[in-house]
Amino acid sequence: MAGKSGRSIAYTPERSILKRILSWEGALVIIFIGVLVMGRIMSASFTPENVLREMPKYLSEILIALPMGFILIMGEIDISVGSIVCLSATVATFAGNAGIPFPVVILICLATGLACGALNGFILTRWPELPPMIVTLGTQIIFRGIAEVSLGAGGSASYVNSKDLDILGARLGPFPVAFFAVIIAAVIYIVVLSKTTFGRKLYAIGSNRTAANYAGIKVGKVRFIVYTLAGLMSAICALFILTTTYGANTTTGQNYEMDVIAMCVFGGIATTGGKGNLFGALIAGFTIVCLRIALGLNNINTQLILVIIGLLLIVSVLISSLTQSDFFKKRQLKKAAEKSAKKEAEALNKPLE
Amino acid sequence: METKKTGKVASFFRKLTGNHEISLALILILMFVVVDILSGGTFHTFGNITDIFRNNALTLLMSLGMLLVLLTGGIDISITGVLAFSGMTIGLMMKNNMFAGVPLPLRIVLFFLIATIIGTVCGFINGIIIAKGKVSPIICTLGAMYVWRGMAFIISNNSWASALDVQGFSDFGKEGSVGPYIILIVAFAAFFVLMKWSGFGRKVYAIGSNKEAARISGINVDRVQIAVYTIMGALSGLAGALSVSIYASGQPNMQTGKEMDVIAACVIGGVSMSGGRGTVLGTLLGGIFYAIVYKALPLVGLESIWQNLIKGVIILAVVVINVVTQRTMKRRTLARREI
Repeated sequence: MAGKSGRSIAYTPERSILKRILSWEGALVIIFIGVLVMGRIMSASFTPENVLREMPKYLSEILIALPMGFILIMGEIDISVGSIVCLSATVATFAGNAGIPFPVVILICLATGLACGALNGFILTRWPELPPMIVTLGTQIIFRGIAEVSLGAGGSASYVNSKDLDILGARLGPFPVAFFAVIIAAVIYIVVLSKTTFGRKLYAIGSNRTAANYAGIKVGKVRFIVYTLAGLMSAICALFILTTTYGANTTTGQNYEMDVIAMCVFGGIATTGGKGNLFGALIAGFTIVCLRIALGLNNINTQLILVIIGLLLIVSVLISSLTQSDFFKKRQLKKAAEKSAKKEAEALNKPLE
Repeated sequence: METKKTGKVASFFRKLTGNHEISLALILILMFVVVDILSGGTFHTFGNITDIFRNNALTLLMSLGMLLVLLTGGIDISITGVLAFSGMTIGLMMKNNMFAGVPLPLRIVLFFLIATIIGTVCGFINGIIIAKGKVSPIICTLGAMYVWRGMAFIISNNSWASALDVQGFSDFGKEGSVGPYIILIVAFAAFFVLMKWSGFGRKVYAIGSNKEAARISGINVDRVQIAVYTIMGALSGLAGALSVSIYASGQPNMQTGKEMDVIAACVIGGVSMSGGRGTVLGTLLGGIFYAIVYKALPLVGLESIWQNLIKGVIILAVVVINVVTQRTMKRRTLARREI
């Protein structure tokens, strides 16, 4: 059952400290610290207070990265999340402007996201042979299309009662509320993925969907739940985005799906499924957020971040696929064989002495 | 006698619904007629039809490369990034009056060549990383999309090539010029021959159907994959030059999100996302289908803000209908076998 998951269930090998550092998550932590140090060197205004103040602008994307990690671990993809953000932000704006009390607005926003995610899940489980990429491409265009139609010719709407939004945009001590939301959500998702049977099922489906089905896992049910979760988290993300933009327009949440997938992949989750964990994705998400803030504070052309994210993405995947290539494996096997031969020789020699 | 006749009709009907290209063509004709009647006979004018092709030349052109990529079981979402980078490069060259001494027709060819070469290099890099580095296509091209789009922004340095800057070059693609049509016709003819009668085309299909079997039967899978992504890159570069020419401007954010249109056109045309299935003719029909819908909506009375919504519904409807017909076909063949 080890297979593609890279985790043997009956036996977990011991991991030395060196191996822990050399693992992908260890490397990510080092890169993260590197980014912080680099940001501090590049500009004096890269202080913890400034970083935390700038954070809410970018932080909420990490909320979507968590369910996206689930989807990628299942070996699938959802490119409609950005449009769900747009649609739920639009609906929330209209609801808020209609004079509905704020707690109900939040519920309406979450319900919108939930419904969008459930639609994805329904189509994909009703016709399981459809590729997720093309279905979510269709819903991506539809969700944004609904937002465009309801926003009308102007293409934007602003949230009138902005005081309500400040409740969510407030800070507890130095930390913005969004930060706590990300941490709490991350803890829940990480625990679900690594400590519950639901998480195990995700790995099983990602490793081999047919085998998982025959093993008694209700694949359709799991997929439906995960896609619905992605919709829900997108709606939560939309709420936090409203606290910084005070309104929605047709480009709200554009390209979020790509940013989020980049976070997950940079965090070590393979798009082929069955591999990776959310801890890596979380650190990768914070790394990208801090990189953005550092570049923004230095007035560097913010589009440079595109090139950096792109290169990070390609290089990180390239490294992991090269280390798993035949060349390296052969060398490792050879070393292991030499070692065991030595041991055997020693064992043979001992009784003779 | 009678049963034979109904059998014949049934088999004819099955042929119609079983073949994706034929059924798509029938739907297209039907749609064309309906839209023409609804718009009061203004749709079937020559000018309108050429307009449809001109406005969708980029999608149609790139869908050819995407066909190849999808046939091998891969995907390329970096195409608009490459398009923006190559288009922006030649746009800036024109802005800075490079090659101003070269006579105009030659200059146009030169700029097209430069854009295509840039695209080819970008595509080649993609191909190497995917084939030799064993990186999954969607991740590699996602990264490449960021890199080339970002490069387009960086080289542009917050400026853009205006209609005045690209004067002369834009004559090639302006309304009434035959340039874009010639490129489209040549490209489609070349790809039709390539995919139908060349060894390379057969190899692409073989890899898409079963990569391992293709490798064992002596096909150099890596080399074909690199070639496929390089061709895709070259077409994106060419589309970059064409975009500058048709829209008479070069901006770093041009054609954002168009890669999904290209993929959608292929999928509507019956190209399978898992590889091995799809034809040039189907891709052309898929592209035209998409283009007609886009053009028809305003004529039917829907505002342009409705376009995206309708587009999404059509994509979903097409893929779902595809799956449903395939299921019923499978059931029917199974039932026949049981008898």
